[in-house]
Amino acid sequence: MALSESAEQLEKSDPTLARYNRQMLWGPIGVEGQRKLKQSRVLLVGCGALGTVLANTLGRAGVGHLTIIDRDFIEINNLQRQVLFDQQDIADQLPKALAAQRQLARINSDIQVEAVVTDVNHNNILQHARGQDLLLDGTDNFETRFLINDVSIHLNIPWIYGACISAMGLAMVIRPGVTPCLRCIFETSPPPGMNPTCDTAGVLGPTVNMVASWQAMEAIKLLTGNVHALNRGLLSFDLWDNRYQQLNVARARDIADCPACKHHNLEYLSGKFSSSTTTLCGRNAVQISQPGGHRVDFEHIAAGLRAVGNPTFNKFMLKCPITEGRGERRREYELTLFADGRAIIKGVNDAAVARAVYAKYVGS
Amino acid sequence: MAVKIRIPTPLRQLTKGVDLVEVSAGNVEGALQQLCAKYAGMDKRLFKQPGELNRFVNIYVNDEDIRFLENLRTPIQDGDDVSIVPAIAGG
Repeated sequence: MALSESAEQLEKSDPTLARYNRQMLWGPIGVEGQRKLKQSRVLLVGCGALGTVLANTLGRAGVGHLTIIDRDFIEINNLQRQVLFDQQDIADQLPKALAAQRQLARINSDIQVEAVVTDVNHNNILQHARGQDLLLDGTDNFETRFLINDVSIHLNIPWIYGACISAMGLAMVIRPGVTPCLRCIFETSPPPGMNPTCDTAGVLGPTVNMVASWQAMEAIKLLTGNVHALNRGLLSFDLWDNRYQQLNVARARDIADCPACKHHNLEYLSGKFSSSTTTLCGRNAVQISQPGGHRVDFEHIAAGLRAVGNPTFNKFMLKCPITEGRGERRREYELTLFADGRAIIKGVNDAAVARAVYAKYVGS
Repeated sequence: MAVKIRIPTPLRQLTKGVDLVEVSAGNVEGALQQLCAKYAGMDKRLFKQPGELNRFVNIYVNDEDIRFLENLRTPIQDGDDVSIVPAIAGG
């Protein structure tokens, strides 16, 4: 029996499958693959630019259960690339995870979407990751990515790394015990403030879509059991320079003396390498401390911050007022950054908001 | 040997936007040293200390990680393509 005929028969017996007809016509997915997608559970960590494209694509594709975690609210400057959100979501002041859930319910009411509004950290990530078939990276900082990497090793769940800035993107499928892990490739994160962030150097919508679409395709291969078709390299591209590379990382697992996947020293999951936050009582401020005692480069960070504010610094500290949003949603923060990467963010009492500000404007 | 080093976006602040730098060197270390000599601040972004790359930067010669070749001593030939791939965090 031809595959298309069996798909048609199945659609008659289960009308909810009709929407996936074009996807099931693709031989390697077929009816069986579609069933597997329906039974799949996926955790999406971060629902910003990458996360909305991932949620949109996989929700439409029929992944049966999606858990979406995000700590942030939607701002007007998100709409240029965060495809699940619109102006109404901003007017409704919805957190990103809830806005994504609401939009996905309109797109595909046959799937279950769980929205979790929280700051993912080493204390709470396991409870959300247990029982999932796949973890997806929609985050904007290295600390959370290394945390996902540790959880993936600890629970033996694959994850898909994706990251982008301006027109450049990186992505890789990570399967514990099979492929190198993220720390085999990048053993440490850059010191705070060394790399530009999307909020200081900008990012273009097509870059985000390309990285997240690649992640989503690999997710579909993995969840439908098409493991042989998975991409085994590190994708690196620059859409502005027209450069696409498939970097060979196959041997990284043998060569790197990886603390995480080789020695099972899960330093991010144990909290050893986690940043910590302290709400400074009565000061409407949160302090963020970074482990590792990195020295930060004020000149370099100030150059990036000039895109958003007017930073000043001496050899001990850097200060920069930051304004987000407009009208009723206007928020004013003051970032004070010390030479060891510690920061005090004024204008906020919520640790999750402070971490978001740090990740966006300093980079972690 | 004349080789091209591709400068990724996060490092172009240092090269004033230049995305491709031609240098002449016999191995990867020589090529990167020339790049560092040409652009102030590059050294700190690439090297932890002389002869040791930062662990958040990878170098590829023609799509192959130099850690699988001869690391910084990996020989390079005319026309080889050296890529710097830094860890990036946006998303």
